[in-house]
Amino acid sequence: MALASTATAPRGGDHETPGPGPSPEPTAPGRLLALLRRLLSFQGLLVGGAVVIVGYLALVPLGYLVHDTFLNSTGTGVSLGAFSRAYGGNSQAGSMMLNSLGFALGSAALALVLGTVLAYVQVRTDTPFKGLFFAASLVPLIVPGILYATSWIFLGDPSSGVINTLVFKPLFGTAPVNIFSVWGMIWVQGLHLAPVTFLLMVAAFRAMDPSLEESAAMSGARRSTVLRRITVPLLRPAMISASLLMFVQSLESFEVPGLLGLQNGIYVFTSRIYFVLRAYPIDYGAAGALAIGLLLIAAAGVLLSGWLQRSSRNFQTVTGKAFRPRPVDLGRARPWVGAGVIVYFLVTVVLPVAVLVYASLLKYYAAPSRKTLGSMSLENYSEVLHMPLAFTALKNSLIVGVGAATAVMLLTSVVSWVVLRTKAPGRRVLDLVAFTPIVIPGLVLGLALSFVYLRMPLPIYGTLLILLVSYCTRYLPYGMRYSSSAMAQMSPELEESAAVSGASWFQTFRRVLLPLMSSGILAGWVYILVVSFRELSSTILLYSPGKEVLSVLIWEQFENGQFTTLAALGVCMVLILVLLVSIAYRLGARFGLQGDSSN
Amino acid sequence: MRTRNLTFSVSGLLAATLVAGCGGGVPGSSNSDAGEVYGRLKGLARTEQRARAEELAGEEGKTLSLYTSMTADIATPTAEAFEKKYGIRVSVFRGNSETVLQRTLQEQEAGRPGADVVETNFAEMVILAGKGHLADYNGSGLDKVEAAGKFDHWTATRFNVFQPAWNTTKIKPGDEPTSWEDLALPKYRGKITVEVSDSDWFENVTKYWLEHGKSQAEVDSLWKAIAANSKVAKGHTTMMQFLTAGQTSMEAMNYTYITSRAAEDGAPVTHLPASGVSTIPAFARPNGVGMIKGAQHPAAAWLFCDWLLTDGQKTLVDLGLTPSTKVPGDNSVAGLTLVPFDVEGLSKDDSVWDKKYDALLRGADTVGR
Repeated sequence: MALASTATAPRGGDHETPGPGPSPEPTAPGRLLALLRRLLSFQGLLVGGAVVIVGYLALVPLGYLVHDTFLNSTGTGVSLGAFSRAYGGNSQAGSMMLNSLGFALGSAALALVLGTVLAYVQVRTDTPFKGLFFAASLVPLIVPGILYATSWIFLGDPSSGVINTLVFKPLFGTAPVNIFSVWGMIWVQGLHLAPVTFLLMVAAFRAMDPSLEESAAMSGARRSTVLRRITVPLLRPAMISASLLMFVQSLESFEVPGLLGLQNGIYVFTSRIYFVLRAYPIDYGAAGALAIGLLLIAAAGVLLSGWLQRSSRNFQTVTGKAFRPRPVDLGRARPWVGAGVIVYFLVTVVLPVAVLVYASLLKYYAAPSRKTLGSMSLENYSEVLHMPLAFTALKNSLIVGVGAATAVMLLTSVVSWVVLRTKAPGRRVLDLVAFTPIVIPGLVLGLALSFVYLRMPLPIYGTLLILLVSYCTRYLPYGMRYSSSAMAQMSPELEESAAVSGASWFQTFRRVLLPLMSSGILAGWVYILVVSFRELSSTILLYSPGKEVLSVLIWEQFENGQFTTLAALGVCMVLILVLLVSIAYRLGARFGLQGDSSN
Repeated sequence: MRTRNLTFSVSGLLAATLVAGCGGGVPGSSNSDAGEVYGRLKGLARTEQRARAEELAGEEGKTLSLYTSMTADIATPTAEAFEKKYGIRVSVFRGNSETVLQRTLQEQEAGRPGADVVETNFAEMVILAGKGHLADYNGSGLDKVEAAGKFDHWTATRFNVFQPAWNTTKIKPGDEPTSWEDLALPKYRGKITVEVSDSDWFENVTKYWLEHGKSQAEVDSLWKAIAANSKVAKGHTTMMQFLTAGQTSMEAMNYTYITSRAAEDGAPVTHLPASGVSTIPAFARPNGVGMIKGAQHPAAAWLFCDWLLTDGQKTLVDLGLTPSTKVPGDNSVAGLTLVPFDVEGLSKDDSVWDKKYDALLRGADTVGR
């Protein structure tokens, strides 16, 4: 496959070492000095600092987990007892693992297909209703999982769900939709995750030179052949990253299995971890053993994705040549694609949000009837506005969310450079280590952080900083995937020409790489900002009175049993975040443009 | 150039907001004077204690840190009522009972207590007391608390009462359960929801049945039938949401205050049959309060304990909870047949019942019966 035609660098990026430009080959003592000087250079400090921070963030909770898992109860020796408690006896580990894998694979596949198709249609075609994609890519991410799953229960319950009672019963006389099944779980989780794939794939499509497709088309390849042999292979890094993320995130998510799976006894890893962490005395060993099971599966995923991306030069489509992605003319298919977009928008955005809006107007949730429609009011919204903490919490969520998103994306863009562009020893390990936080249960992360920072004289525990540390740790793996899939698309010849023109490493990084990666980085930034608004499992242990964030408020409303107030809060969150993200995109677009022109 | 300026100004702004937004609220190291304050108050005559505690609380700076698993709609008015009475500012950390326990343990073990006083569920209070983190309260607030509400180093403040709950449009009058055994009836097949972490309910009902003449085999087959009738859900408030919406018909167990609160909002749910009198044994699980050793504000902690067991009881009643003392106007247990909660069986430091309940719900064979 002649895909690498544009990436004809004089020497492959893989052979580059993290050195600041050309330096003469010195003798042995001189070499040592040069190494020292190199390490102490600005680049060395920056890169070294980023690597150390990422390593530190990831290793603290991992160390805590491993310590609790392998140390026996007396704390004196190493034991594997935790594993037999977690997987042995009557734990039904086999069916649990099968359920977990089936659920995760199914959700990942659904999210991948949906997200990729949508991204393609959005970036590369002249489809109508492009504006809707923005909402479709964000709203399912913003709505807290517990509300999203609850909305789907009201929609898809086998006996009383609206879809069955209003659509299938009258039309076909059956009620085939059952949300409380593995398929229902995959459906809800897949829809909830599709935006993540969408964000990643949009960035990838934007960075892809369509001239390759055009030359294939010119040489007489049919559209399907172009798609199969050019487009899809070119997107491999992003697709692999997306699948890996979706897969592992489904493995470690609890909201959908908790709300939908338990009903019919469908247990997964996380529901087991929940049980173990619920019982007292908490068997941290067994919880750790389960988490390590997850970790092994995730590590296999990381290694597999690394292996699949081994010939990275094949995907580098951002090169020295200018290109302008041109939309594909859909022709007669245009109305059909447009209709598809509308249907997707209806199913993922309008339906669940409509349930939320409907619920937010009621005093308690009941199926639509004349009586309930008559009793609607805006009372819940006035309650939200009068919550004493609402504005503090919004402010704190913004500070921590923006801080975490920015920090993670800056760190991971440097670290992904180390992983992909250098031959530094241990770079694969670094990639793997940066991925581990994804499987650490939130409660364990919270415990690990409070353990460390309670014993540190720095003013971190009891402040917003500890939430910042926690969010940076939790979203590190996501940032890594977004950054490295953006980095993988870029040809090293760009860096080389910058270096030849006399730019320092930092100048190259800041003025060539970052602007070109900006659409991937922005996508990651948006993702982290949005999901950090919902993070609860570690937040609930680490927040301090007076320093509440929005997710704590949501949890409180939930605990109060105020589903309808919570729905109102959810609707407000959707509005605020959509506004915020559209501002970010505006700014990002301007930033990217400036970056391009300043080259 | 403009890019650089933008980068620097953005990062400067970020750093500034972080520094501005993050200060304050750091728990200091353990207060070595706390033990002395507690001791001094304990040694005083009961009539002098309250005034002295108020005086000392003033010296401490009139603040209090409360960790509680009360829901926000209870905790906030409770804290406000206390503030109003003594002018002491209360900062409240809310979490579910496990979180309150974990956080308190972490802080105690690091020697940096963040809480002055803890109010949470029975099981978590037992653990905190067992680990020696609680100081004794001996004030006059104890007088009205019954013997069953007094524990080593902590005192019951309110009760969560276990009863089934149902949607009155789905379960018609005459069809309601009249005993825990009824939950096993075939007519309820597919209609019952059980909560995934209610092992203390499971333990109490099992014990009650065994003590009232049932054999282990009978008890086992009852539970099997109940499990076969049931679907599993997570979270008592979530379950209530689905019950009020008519999504589910009946809950094997929910706390009566949750059911009552939903009913007050007009939802068609209840835990009492049409007659208004339930014959189902109602287990009342205590929630309690305790003062933290090494607290920053020990006198304020003492005052809060004292207040919650006296004037505060009325506040709890007004909020629809079941108080641990007799309070005029309290009808939260009207129509219920109260039976003792098995304190002893659930105070043991093991998770046998959690495991058994978990296995029952999964349909797995139970080990170590």
